[in-house]
Amino acid sequence: MPALAEYRTRALLEREGVPLVPGSVLRGLPETTPAFPVFLKAQIPGATSRKKAGLVRRIDSAPDLAANLDELLSREGCECVLMTSGVDIERELYCAVVFDGGSSSDMPGGRVLFSESGGSGIESRAGSLVEMRFPLSKPPSKEEILKVLPSGGWSDGVAGILAGMVGTFLKYRLLVLEANPVAILRDGRALVVDCRAEFESRAVRKGEEELFGTGGVSSSDSTQIERTVEAINRDDPAGTAFFRQNRAARPAGAAAVATNLCGGGGKMLWEMATGGREDIFPLNESDTSGGLSAFKSYRFLRAVLSQEEADLLFFTGSGMAFQSQLHIAAAIWKALRESPRVVPFMVRFGGTDEDKARALFERVSPTLRAPVRTYPSEVFPNAMVDDIAGFLASAGKVEATRPEDSHRSSEPAFEIEVPPGRFHIDGALCAECHDRPCLASCPTKFLAWEEGSGPRPGGTGRCIGCLMCEAVCRLDGRAGLFIELGIPEVE
Amino acid sequence: MMPGILEHLAGIGDPRVVVFGITGKQGQSTTRVMTGFGTKVLAGVTPGKGGQEVDGIPVFNSCSEAVAAFPAIDTAVFFVPAGAVLSATREAAAAGIRFMVHTADGVSTHDAALMREISITDGFRIVGPNTVGMLDTTGFLFGLIGGNASWARRNYLPGSVGIISRSGGLSQLLGAFHCRPHLPGPLPGGGYGELWGEKGPGVSAVICVGGDPVPGTTLLEAAEAFEADPRTKVIAGYGETGTMQENELAEAVANGRIRKPMVMFLGGKFTAAGVSQSHAGAMIRSEAETWDAKRKALEEAGVKVVDRPDAVFGSVASVLSSI
Repeated sequence: MPALAEYRTRALLEREGVPLVPGSVLRGLPETTPAFPVFLKAQIPGATSRKKAGLVRRIDSAPDLAANLDELLSREGCECVLMTSGVDIERELYCAVVFDGGSSSDMPGGRVLFSESGGSGIESRAGSLVEMRFPLSKPPSKEEILKVLPSGGWSDGVAGILAGMVGTFLKYRLLVLEANPVAILRDGRALVVDCRAEFESRAVRKGEEELFGTGGVSSSDSTQIERTVEAINRDDPAGTAFFRQNRAARPAGAAAVATNLCGGGGKMLWEMATGGREDIFPLNESDTSGGLSAFKSYRFLRAVLSQEEADLLFFTGSGMAFQSQLHIAAAIWKALRESPRVVPFMVRFGGTDEDKARALFERVSPTLRAPVRTYPSEVFPNAMVDDIAGFLASAGKVEATRPEDSHRSSEPAFEIEVPPGRFHIDGALCAECHDRPCLASCPTKFLAWEEGSGPRPGGTGRCIGCLMCEAVCRLDGRAGLFIELGIPEVE
Repeated sequence: MMPGILEHLAGIGDPRVVVFGITGKQGQSTTRVMTGFGTKVLAGVTPGKGGQEVDGIPVFNSCSEAVAAFPAIDTAVFFVPAGAVLSATREAAAAGIRFMVHTADGVSTHDAALMREISITDGFRIVGPNTVGMLDTTGFLFGLIGGNASWARRNYLPGSVGIISRSGGLSQLLGAFHCRPHLPGPLPGGGYGELWGEKGPGVSAVICVGGDPVPGTTLLEAAEAFEADPRTKVIAGYGETGTMQENELAEAVANGRIRKPMVMFLGGKFTAAGVSQSHAGAMIRSEAETWDAKRKALEEAGVKVVDRPDAVFGSVASVLSSI
């Protein structure tokens, strides 16, 4: 779950009026010299055991401040440094508000947690934890929280902090919000010294993205291909395309398999079938689902295929996809034609039009640059996995060959923009086409025919990015229609 | 007519449906699948599009308007963006809807929790979010199962297996393959071969509870509906890591709340704790949520847990032959 750096958590709490130890965010030396001692805390989202890692330091002088600040700012993933004042602490307490998913018999909601032993690990609090469950629609007031806290001179202040934390937890739909320690100062005031939060990316509302930042997913942690997939998801958000590369070392002799698995269940089936095997090395995790278009499937596959170590591409749905398998087949065929890298390919279509999808592949297989094996939907991924070694042995070494040219040498007569795609229509070729299969294949009737020129947008529907027009044009027409789908370039 | 599974989930014998988001691309195409399967869709709701029709189904600006025009409506299926799901739930609840299916992926966990909270306090039932929906072979289908109506009618045939699942794909697959003639698979006695002849055991209903951390209906609640359903002789399903749904299912089997035989396949054997999964609910947050703990709990309770997904069918056939 993404974690929020302390300075960002402080910003959320501050908005709800929760008292915090005085502090400021530094990205360079402060303009005025602070009163020492101060504490410097490197702000790295998701960092744990910060003291042990030297990310939290007490500073007693100006020269120390400059040297330590520079060093902390240079740490990988460091967004900034939080400088907090030293305070005169009498005792330390623990406060938290966490999400509770409930069960069949317990309602989901939040839990207020409190312990008189703050500042230390959770183990030392196990016996002293005060818990208060609450439904999300009926958060407890400060007065209600006060009733469950042990009594002490600090109770009112702590109840106020917890009420503010509940407000923050609900407002930003957090999963965990922890203040540890909450300090009781010698003058009786209670304030938050250290804090952290965990949140869901899906819960971040429009306009709040700046408050949350990357949530521990530092761009330096992600690979170039992962960033490419992120970019594809950003500019074509319909449907899920989940992709994560394997950071582990490939065991000697293992087959490196690039995957496009469909659905969370499909991902799980693959992991169950390969998790205990030394002879198969999954290059990536993947899950495409939610009705993504063939346009997006193609771009995702190009990213998957760009993994240079791949010995095999493995595509399977978890079950019975509601999205057209024929459209997905068109996307896969296009990716296999146009990818610079080509490897043997195992595929199982499952769901709507699975027979047509398999038939398409059986028809085009002889034209592909690497062997393809298709499976009926009754064959589960685990049975396909058992086939990998034999298939790779029979496929032999695949010679590197040039991908099909995406742009023809002749200047296209006409272009149609359907972001992220661009149709290139070669009017001279289309003029010779009598069957016009592109029109018949278009499920939304987006295309109309212009005599002597070829297909044009002018039908009744809008393009859904299914790639059928291009596929049938190549199979049964004059190959005058080409759809350019750019792959985002990332640093 | 034998009542469908909804009788036991929400006390609804013959559901009448309103579709939220019916004028959108997915709402429109999926409504065709639902009606083609036999679902009685009486109205649609899209704010600002009241007065239109989609395939002859009248569209209203609000759910209360739809219910005023068709008081028999008791069920809502939603094709609305994740951010609008909570407010749509409130709107439907206020209009008196008693059963809701939410297909949206990406609903925040807080919103899902609020939806479950409201459904419990107000006494209605939600399936989802992040579900492909559910299907009953008495003739109704809510959500995205099947792709097209004729495919769904061909692939889901009346029978004695009740399907519960946290995965959309596996819900559909486990349901359809119990109906497929001459299905091949691992044989319970060893080897691989045809599990049955022309007629498979068939399904009573398929309930996908969804892949999110806070489902509107849990695996246990879905299993309880099948326990009460006289058509269902055996419950088959897919569970995975994360949440306590399989653990409480095991407890219910152990203490006799669920007495019908159950066959489960569990995903996530190699899922590392604390790592986000594409099914948001599959992330492991405690030892009890791991694959090992769940498998142990289910097996000790008497549930047959199979090692590979295609072993579900042979096990189900074997259970049925012994009843």
